[in-house]
Amino acid sequence: MTDPALPRAPEPTVPAPGTAVPGRHDLPSGPERLPAPERAAPQVTTYPVSFTGSAGEYFRLWIVNAALSVVTLGIYLPWARVRNRQYFYGHTWVDGHNFEYRANPLKLLRSYVVVGALFGAYTLSQQSERWWWLSALIALAFALLYPWLVAQSMRFQAVNTTHRGLRFHFDGSVKGAYVAYGAANVAASLSGGLALPWAWFMQRRYQVNNLSYGSARGNFRGDVAPMYLIALTGVGLLVGAGLLLAVPAVVALVAWMAGSGFDLDSMDWESLGSGLFFFIFLAVGYVILIALNGVAWQYVRAATMRYVLNNTELGGVVRAGATFNPWRVVWITVSNGAAQLLTLGLATPWADIRRNRYLLEGVSVRAIASLDDFAGGAGGPESALGEAATELLDIGLGF
Amino acid sequence: MPDLTGPDPAATDSLTAQGVFFDGRSSRDHPATLLLDGDQVRVRLGAQAEHHWRADQVTLEAALPGVRRSLSFPDGSRFETPDDAAIRAWEQRHGRNRLLGGVRRLESSWGTALGAVAVTGAVLWAFVTFGVPALARQAAAVTPVGVLATFDRETLQVLEGQNLIGPSELSAARQAQLQAALRDVSGWAGGPYGYRLLLRDGEPAGSSGLGANAFALPNGTVVMTDQLVALARSDRELVGVLAHEAGHVTQRHGLASVYQALGLSLIVTALTGDIVSATTFAAAVPVALVQGGYSRAAETQSDEVAARFMLERYRTTRPLQAILARLEAQDGGPGGVPDLLGTHPGTDARIEHLKQLEDAAR
Repeated sequence: MTDPALPRAPEPTVPAPGTAVPGRHDLPSGPERLPAPERAAPQVTTYPVSFTGSAGEYFRLWIVNAALSVVTLGIYLPWARVRNRQYFYGHTWVDGHNFEYRANPLKLLRSYVVVGALFGAYTLSQQSERWWWLSALIALAFALLYPWLVAQSMRFQAVNTTHRGLRFHFDGSVKGAYVAYGAANVAASLSGGLALPWAWFMQRRYQVNNLSYGSARGNFRGDVAPMYLIALTGVGLLVGAGLLLAVPAVVALVAWMAGSGFDLDSMDWESLGSGLFFFIFLAVGYVILIALNGVAWQYVRAATMRYVLNNTELGGVVRAGATFNPWRVVWITVSNGAAQLLTLGLATPWADIRRNRYLLEGVSVRAIASLDDFAGGAGGPESALGEAATELLDIGLGF
Repeated sequence: MPDLTGPDPAATDSLTAQGVFFDGRSSRDHPATLLLDGDQVRVRLGAQAEHHWRADQVTLEAALPGVRRSLSFPDGSRFETPDDAAIRAWEQRHGRNRLLGGVRRLESSWGTALGAVAVTGAVLWAFVTFGVPALARQAAAVTPVGVLATFDRETLQVLEGQNLIGPSELSAARQAQLQAALRDVSGWAGGPYGYRLLLRDGEPAGSSGLGANAFALPNGTVVMTDQLVALARSDRELVGVLAHEAGHVTQRHGLASVYQALGLSLIVTALTGDIVSATTFAAAVPVALVQGGYSRAAETQSDEVAARFMLERYRTTRPLQAILARLEAQDGGPGGVPDLLGTHPGTDARIEHLKQLEDAAR
């Protein structure tokens, strides 16, 4: 199924959806590469992904559902979550058809209650010496079950996503999850982060290779090396910007201390001014460090997403492509965060729409077969527990 | 298949919608017409084929603004249409999606959206202001006393481990005097608590310790520093402080603050949707402000307990006012870092309140 000769040119040829254009690139014509051997002359068609959500419309939906969640003391929360997500899926179009999210809120509610109760028990038992073993037990169970929960979450997400009347599904094995999300994460932390990009690679590969649309299976053609490149860029950003900000700041601090007759040897903290100044200096430095870390992390996320999309294919006939700029995504995320903070969260719907629109408008799908030709496949069982756990505990799944 | 769409008497009842049909086995889209009349749901594909189901076999997803409506059928096939009006009419006739249909009407107007902003804000405000403290008080009141002793032990371990308090340098005779004062106060305050007074040096490692301070742990352990004893000009002032601390014990403020912090973190989690991200971190400042508000309320309550005791014994609250003012002067004056994150803010207001309580008793 790997097909290195397929075009990877970033410039998307964008015909009207549904019209096929002849491939401009040298395509392999060997029939063994194609699922339908009778198609002798494959044509590449590029289908742009479009997003039609609007901030005003989504704001009303979001705030009404938030108010209902608050008024019902959280019972409505799963319905609100599902509805918000349905809005985003429903406004995402490929070749004239939109996606649909069909999760059952009642199932989610049950799982939310279980996860919420466990989290409450954990927090409460942490407070007392007599019950500490309970919190340790819950933490241990969570750590042991984490890969399984991730696999359950991906299964739930996939099975509840529909496009053109066909469901996605995810059939990653539990063993595979323990390798990608258990062993790989342990290796990453034992190696002091050196193995972290490798862990990302294992995780993305597990995600993509086990995803199917109908009976067409996903295939991740990516490699480990680019993950390291992305991680290095992130670390470089953190260190570079940190030095750029820290050096002048420390110089200014020392100059100020010298100017005000501050004697480093005697450490005269009794002087009120210097103590306060030092406190503010530390606090500002801490906040800047947190912000820089967030920026670097956003870059890593966006760049990984782009790399994964550019190396994902489906059933050997469809390839995703992403042209969005990771730095632009970082800027959008940072400015979104500032807007949300300043509006006490009321700008959240606008921010979500803005980010989603930029991302999706930089994504396209290229196919050497008609998108009509996918066949359905069996959907696996689904469980909402993993979904609830990953959503409530914010386990970053990368997508 | 016979043509059933000719003029028929039930035509006023029938609805049609144009859309696409997916058979559930392939991704191919078939242009199709949906015909809804009575209990019948039919999908016509061009001239050649027709599928039909009973209304109760159809799953109909609730409407979302700008999104195609979709009907799914038992065999996995489905029909999708942008014609919302027809589907909505059928939905209403069959009583489908009543609740989410109502939600959709709320979502469609800016008026209700603004109302939702107001409702959300008001409910959150009321819950944080009244609900959380009430729930925390309730939870603190039903917590067994055995648990309280654990809190006391652990907190003292932390304070000693971090070198914030050390052995007292007061004479045994002086300590015995103050112990007797606490027995008097605790006998008056009552409750099933293990009251004891621990006199400790508040600055065992230079100026980094607790300084002049007194605090009560949930089970009645009251810690008072040598520095505070030195600051007092009469024992009545110290008795006032002890009565204030006894108020914290009987009102179970220590435990309530633990539950309040837990409740607030749960609210933040519910609002931001996660537990460990930057949004939660950003919410730490408002949470700290709210916590400060709770602790101010607790101070006021304990001041009232202390005032009752002092008015009974001395007919005045002035000793407590005096030591509060001196503490304030010492904290704010030169020679120390100001108490930026202190939990005893608003000393002027507290002194004023004590004065009012004394006037009211006359």
